[in-house]
Amino acid sequence: MTELLGTILPYITTILLFASIYAVFALGLNLEWGFTGLINFGHVAFFAIGAYTTVLLNISGCPLIISVIAGVALAGFFGFLLGIPTLRLREDYLAIVTIGFSEVLRSILLNEEWLTRGPFGVHGFDRPFHDVIPYQHYNTFLLILFVAILVLVYFALERLIQSPWGRVLKSIREDEAVPSALGKNVFSYKLQSLIIGSAIAGLAGAMLAFYITYINPCTFKPIETFHAWIIVILGGTASNKGTIVGAIILWAFFSGTKFIDRIVPVPFESHQMGAFRMIVVGLLLMLLMMYKPEGIFGTKEELALSD
Amino acid sequence: MKAVDGCSIDIESGTVVGLIGPNGAGKTTMFNLISGFERGSGEIMFKGNRTDNLPPFKIARCGMVRTFQIPRALTKMSVLENLMLAPTMQRGERIWNVCLRRKKVLEQEQAIKEKSMGILEFFEIDNLKDEYAGALSGGQKKLLEMARAIAIDPSMMLLDEPFAGVNPTLSRKISGHIDELRESGMTFLIIEHDIPAVTKISDWIVVMNEGRVMAEGEPEEIKRRKDVLDVYLGGEG
Repeated sequence: MTELLGTILPYITTILLFASIYAVFALGLNLEWGFTGLINFGHVAFFAIGAYTTVLLNISGCPLIISVIAGVALAGFFGFLLGIPTLRLREDYLAIVTIGFSEVLRSILLNEEWLTRGPFGVHGFDRPFHDVIPYQHYNTFLLILFVAILVLVYFALERLIQSPWGRVLKSIREDEAVPSALGKNVFSYKLQSLIIGSAIAGLAGAMLAFYITYINPCTFKPIETFHAWIIVILGGTASNKGTIVGAIILWAFFSGTKFIDRIVPVPFESHQMGAFRMIVVGLLLMLLMMYKPEGIFGTKEELALSD
Repeated sequence: MKAVDGCSIDIESGTVVGLIGPNGAGKTTMFNLISGFERGSGEIMFKGNRTDNLPPFKIARCGMVRTFQIPRALTKMSVLENLMLAPTMQRGERIWNVCLRRKKVLEQEQAIKEKSMGILEFFEIDNLKDEYAGALSGGQKKLLEMARAIAIDPSMMLLDEPFAGVNPTLSRKISGHIDELRESGMTFLIIEHDIPAVTKISDWIVVMNEGRVMAEGEPEEIKRRKDVLDVYLGGEG
């Protein structure tokens, strides 16, 4: 029994660690898309900015906490920079610009070796309290830390969206001509939403780096953006609770199917399995859209309403 | 072709002005220009200040609010939330206030809620406060749209077809509300095709045709003008 627990527990810890990182990452997107209606197809860029800024500052001698704060701030700042030219235009422009930006950024990470060490990636940076916590308990500690961060981000976002500020965001999502006619500076609110969402993605990036201890440009492929989208849609757009549950489900599924060939015979090589998993995710999303389009925590009534 | 060209109208504060004209006369474009949703080359003055170079939200903050021809209810928000969105300069609309001055935000929120309920009662839709706005009927959405506009405490309202698609009872109710609000000093500019309804509540009528003002005057005078009848009835009147 203890032996079984000994193999299962680290496994569950891994799932929950990834789930908590991606939950924070997707909460940023949920603020932008779920509550403000902004289509950000380059969310991974802010994830990367947060991760790279944190670790690069840290290995050049900056204290860890300051590196994290700088990573979060820089991710938010890039949200601001991208928002300025795009948020006055129709919503699809933001989608186009962000997806382009995330790929340009990955190219920069790959090629500007003097700054980012290029394809070799970055490792050897500090992890929080790594000198105090014994190695064999480190992941457990990290999980507690990440869950604490997730809870903090969750409650902060809930407070924001339930305030009059959040009410304005929702009205923009519904029909931005209305808040505009009622004296709200729609552009400024969209910008604020994008900055905060991006900063949260930056925080998730730092968390990812702490867990995997080695990052390179391949860590931040466009698919990560769509993992966040899957999580948000799965859990129920505009539900922060749903986003967290969506992250757990997605990672449980990814990890659970990793060893499925040991239990049931599958006609795939292990490298084909990865592609097959994405096919299944796509299929499941289609089924979700057909039978429970509001997501797990979404409200069905809201979906039935139209203009 | 210009939708509105060489058009000039004056609206005295505290009056109800009806803006009529056939489809395509430029009435809604005129509204868009006045409320800042479209830009033109003319000059628009409101309470002694030029507003033609201001974005819509700043014009609204000056105290001029518009409604839309097709009511724009914020469908996935409750009726009460629709109303509570409206008041301008809410403390809780700023992030740092939400984070740091929670008590003051909540106090103001309570006051806004009470005021919003009062407005909903005035329009007799307070029983719908918790419904999703998207679930309302067309007429109820019209009332909600007017109620929401009033919730920002405007000094002037631009109403785009408040009587269109509204049953006679509701129509009388809306007229009543406009009368009451005018008594309290509010100014109205109303686009309307329902000529009897609009002539009844207006102090002054402006007739637009092909982007220009073709006639203006008191309702009784306008009703007798043959050229006005011609544009509406295609010359058969």
